[in-house]
Amino acid sequence: MEADASPPHLLRGAARHWRPFVAFGVIFLLWLAAAQFAWVDPRFLPSPAAVAARAKTEFTTGTLAFDISESLRRNITGFAIGALAGLLLGLVLGFSRTAERIVGPTLLAFRQIALFAWVPLLSVWFGGADAGKIAFIAVAGFQPVVINTWQGVKGLSPAYRELSEVLIFSRLDFARLVALPGALPSIFTGLHAGLIYAWLATLGSELFLNVTPGIGGRLNEGSQLFEMDLLFLGIIILAVIGLFYNSSAHSLETWLLRRRKR
Amino acid sequence: MNQIYPSPTFQVESIPALEIHHLDKSFTVAGRELKVLAGVDLSVKIGEFVTIVGASGCGKSTLLRLILGLDLDYSGDILVDGEHVRRPGLDRSIVFQDHRLLPWLTVEGNVAAALRRSSLSRAAKKETVREHLELVGLTSFSKAYPAHLSGGMAQRVAIARALVNRPRFLLLDEPLGALDALTRLKLQDELKRIVQREGTTALLVTHDVDEAVHLGHRIVVMQPHPGRIATILSIPEQARQDRSSHEFIRLRDKVLGLLAVGAGACQTKERTVA
Amino acid sequence: MTLTVSADPPAERRLTKGLPVWTDIAYGISLPLALLLAWGLSSRFGWPPEQILPAPQVVWATIVELWSDGSLAEHTLQSLRRVAIGFAIGVPPGLIIGAALGLLPRVRAFIWPVFTAVAQVNMLAWLPLLVLFVGIDEELKYVSIAWSTAIPVILATTRSIADVSPKLVELGRVLDFTPLQRVSTIVLPAALPSLFTGLREGLAAAWQSLVIVELFASFEGLGYLMTWGRQLFQLELVIVAMLVIAAIGLLLNASLQYLERFVQPWKTEDPHGS
Repeated sequence: MEADASPPHLLRGAARHWRPFVAFGVIFLLWLAAAQFAWVDPRFLPSPAAVAARAKTEFTTGTLAFDISESLRRNITGFAIGALAGLLLGLVLGFSRTAERIVGPTLLAFRQIALFAWVPLLSVWFGGADAGKIAFIAVAGFQPVVINTWQGVKGLSPAYRELSEVLIFSRLDFARLVALPGALPSIFTGLHAGLIYAWLATLGSELFLNVTPGIGGRLNEGSQLFEMDLLFLGIIILAVIGLFYNSSAHSLETWLLRRRKR
Repeated sequence: MNQIYPSPTFQVESIPALEIHHLDKSFTVAGRELKVLAGVDLSVKIGEFVTIVGASGCGKSTLLRLILGLDLDYSGDILVDGEHVRRPGLDRSIVFQDHRLLPWLTVEGNVAAALRRSSLSRAAKKETVREHLELVGLTSFSKAYPAHLSGGMAQRVAIARALVNRPRFLLLDEPLGALDALTRLKLQDELKRIVQREGTTALLVTHDVDEAVHLGHRIVVMQPHPGRIATILSIPEQARQDRSSHEFIRLRDKVLGLLAVGAGACQTKERTVA
Repeated sequence: MTLTVSADPPAERRLTKGLPVWTDIAYGISLPLALLLAWGLSSRFGWPPEQILPAPQVVWATIVELWSDGSLAEHTLQSLRRVAIGFAIGVPPGLIIGAALGLLPRVRAFIWPVFTAVAQVNMLAWLPLLVLFVGIDEELKYVSIAWSTAIPVILATTRSIADVSPKLVELGRVLDFTPLQRVSTIVLPAALPSLFTGLREGLAAAWQSLVIVELFASFEGLGYLMTWGRQLFQLELVIVAMLVIAAIGLLLNASLQYLERFVQPWKTEDPHGS
């Protein structure tokens, strides 16, 4: 799964140039030309105009806006539940050696279950409607958050632990002044990955569970009815939402950690 | 060997503030016993500045660690004011080689962090932080973050943090080791001035012989394998004052001669803690 | 010497890391045992109902039954075959595209944002579109698994090559290497560790997407077994399939980690790494 999305510094600079727009432009022109000169069967490649027209009808008279908002609602609810649980458990595991020894191995074993293998079980336990979907999204968001929070607290440099000993910090001071801020970058990595997994699970839950309003369900419908324009529109919307999630998570992270870098 | 020659110009009371008797320390590395300190005897008086010099990794830093109370697994006695050291305390503070400032706190916040256990009022804490930043000449940087400081400045903050509780003992573990030569010379003088002004008893570990001679009232020369005290020399005031004086050079050469004996014999584990 | 003060606890920890202490095993196994016990006890009292959580002995009986009639092995092998084929299809283009993007900064500047935008839309969103082009048979599985493999491989390959230290690249220029020499003696060896990580991520992604695509449309394989069990309300089938999926995931991860350490013995991997 393409959970890793923060581009490294070397590559990020490229995005500020004019060049990527050229690439996007060329692709768009090719698409336009292909539709115009009928290089490809239009049943398989709808023209940009057709997609735009579909977008217009969908957003004025159709239900797509509602579908998107329903997907986002489930996504945010599920992610909030999963991330909160992951954060709490991760902190407990990071701070308490006993808890880590008891729960840690089991948690690592559970993590080996491929994410979507949870779908059938959760659908039976929570039903295929909203509750089952949200439960699955929560599981998806939970996993990266708990692991990264745990490792973040645990992986704190021994130098800082020693410093806290010398300054005779209480456990609370240690957590507040040293461990939490120290683990923050790692916690963010977990939240970021959790957000992406939760979004993946949101779509998946709509494909594999009962039909309810949602963008994933609409995509599936488009596929079954062979409505290519809807599929293209859906994919574009998904790309935009994915990009938005990524870039906002990234800028929040940069902003919060701005003081640590020169 | 381990005789103590009180420095003639050394004017403070001669009550030992720190006493170390027959200290032995070993680590178990890969199932093997490795002796790092053997039969260390040392006594430091109030207000004294003692420097410990020796080749790398020969138990100097371990000695500081034991005095701090970070490690209680040793044999022998470590007494501070006649009491055994059982845990870290605010009467002993340390400056590490890496400044070890918390990157998410400002300069001010880092110094204030050492006052978490202090009983001072909020206003008094604020005032003492300000005083100590002034002492190290960083008042105008109090709101800066460590990422924006040079190595020398960061180390000054670390010194301010170590002094802010007005500890009786200031332990310095190669505090200037990571700095460039010019900054190091400048900070040596400053360190001397600050310690003198605060009246703190100081114990500085270094492998820079010049630094050891320049800063200390007495210099403890250690030899490796296992770490032990080769000799303790008093430093005449003249040598401390003037780096080009005959006494300084004579003493430095003497120490260098002593160190050459055990040089290269000590290549035990070393870890860089970034 | 940077800091011998903290040299010793990590050494101890490293020792315990090598051979797990029996208390660690006891602690670690206590939770699964407790859960199993609770599960067994509660199912004995008929709670939760069989359709929600079948008793452990039912699950065990199902494992035995599916094993003896060979169907478990059949489904598992089918799934493994799909992953192997899809992975094998996905890796070469992933490596080639990644290497091209990494070695040619100019091309990268044009293509990279387009690529990240495409990678942003996960495999699931392409699935409905893909179905229309390749149908729901084996081709669908191979294409989607190959797709999911290729993306992390491309990302990691591009980055690993683009991130090769400029100092090393400079060294190659100073030594007047030909472009081919530069790639073979500097870029490739320096990029190798992250390249390997990319392959590991690719395999993990392939395994994840196998489950997705088998849930989506299939008539055999572990994903199918789960869908079938769910439709028949035979949760024991679902649980057995989950156990097999977890076991294979564990095996893949562990063997790749072992391989990674074998390939680069200087790198110490943290035991809980991804």
